[in-house]
Amino acid sequence: MKQMITLEVNGERHELAVEKDATLRDVLHDQLNLDGPKKGCDTGSCGCCTVHVDGLAVYSCMRYAVACDGAKVLTAEGLSAGADLHPIQQSFIDAGAVQCGYCTCGMMMSAKQLLDETPRPDEEDIRHAIAGNLCRCTGYAKIVDAVKLAADRLAG
Amino acid sequence: MALQNLKDFHRPDAIEDVLALLGKDEETLILAGGTFLRGLEARGLLSGVEALVDIRRVGLDKVVADNNGIKAGAAVTFTRLRGVVARQQEAWLGGLADALDRPPVQVRNVATVGGCIAAACPFFDVPTALLALDAELTIRSSDGERHLPLPELFDGLFANTLEPGEFITEVSLPRPPGNAAGAFLKLEATANDLAIVNVATQLSIDANRVCTRACVALGGGVADTAVRSAAAETILVGSRLDAAALQAAGEAVISDIDPMSDHRASAAYRRAVAKVMTRRALERAVARLA
Repeated sequence: MKQMITLEVNGERHELAVEKDATLRDVLHDQLNLDGPKKGCDTGSCGCCTVHVDGLAVYSCMRYAVACDGAKVLTAEGLSAGADLHPIQQSFIDAGAVQCGYCTCGMMMSAKQLLDETPRPDEEDIRHAIAGNLCRCTGYAKIVDAVKLAADRLAG
Repeated sequence: MALQNLKDFHRPDAIEDVLALLGKDEETLILAGGTFLRGLEARGLLSGVEALVDIRRVGLDKVVADNNGIKAGAAVTFTRLRGVVARQQEAWLGGLADALDRPPVQVRNVATVGGCIAAACPFFDVPTALLALDAELTIRSSDGERHLPLPELFDGLFANTLEPGEFITEVSLPRPPGNAAGAFLKLEATANDLAIVNVATQLSIDANRVCTRACVALGGGVADTAVRSAAAETILVGSRLDAAALQAAGEAVISDIDPMSDHRASAAYRRAVAKVMTRRALERAVARLA
């Protein structure tokens, strides 16, 4: 039997009937058609599914959707305001931090929590902040550059 | 759908409701952050579970820090405890601060103090630090409350000694007397992997800088549970914590561990690095003593 939950996702309220053991990631992806939270390992090791729940970065594959009833969820899709990309998104493009792209949405959500808390991070802060996100293409250098660039732009 | 027998997912608002749910004749599992559950579920180990009880809304999310130490509700997240520990700026909490810094932010934000010890997973970081801090647990059941030293919770690989109907409500960390400091070190293959070996150390010294109290805890597959090394502690107490004493204590942990071989490392490798990691974690704690 499904269970009714309410989620506010990217500013929009949804009443959803979810399987009791459905993960937040699967509900976001399969029921709300959001591609940002990717399925990588599905057990909290790769970071591709990272979203914010009530303002904090989490592995959405590790959260049961029912346990998130009433939460505010932000996915990579919610970063931008319409066609205007968020500075984090624009910086990932400008720094060439996207190769295959599978880790990108999760990386940006981890970067967002870092920059929410630490507007002027040093390289060690950045590398520590993305330690829970795997990238199998880039060697992380350009991702670190992108987060630095985003920090500069957000701090003005 | 690996929880194929799951009938109910409860989110109670009070501890009494949790106790009532635990009293039902169902295969019931307590859930807090849930970060450990998903790994078990993926391995098909939770197929018998009929009910999940989420304890994050029953008031177990409070932390009290005072001169006696720290008391943290079982559902306090690593992120919350990390914030409290950082504000304390106390050397005796150095090891806990180190350990709370190791899981990635996505885990810190949801994983809980109670959950990480109830899991009885020998590869976690925070339980090793709690073991070195002489953590005491408060356990509730419909019969009342009891207190348990952390080592008595561990009952082998992924097994704890909780009786049916019991659950952990609080973790208490007594402030060690006098001039005390702690440290924690983890050896890992990648930034987001479980420990190959981890070590937590707590040291207290008197006015003559002689060691009056030492705790050495190791985890990360050095045994079926995280363990204390009485042999290392015995060498340290009464010593001046000089290089020879730290070296000897590192060597001594061998007699208290029984490492496993797995895809992360062989038992022989764990045995070799446990000695070095212990010495380094002791050096780190010594450097933090006032």
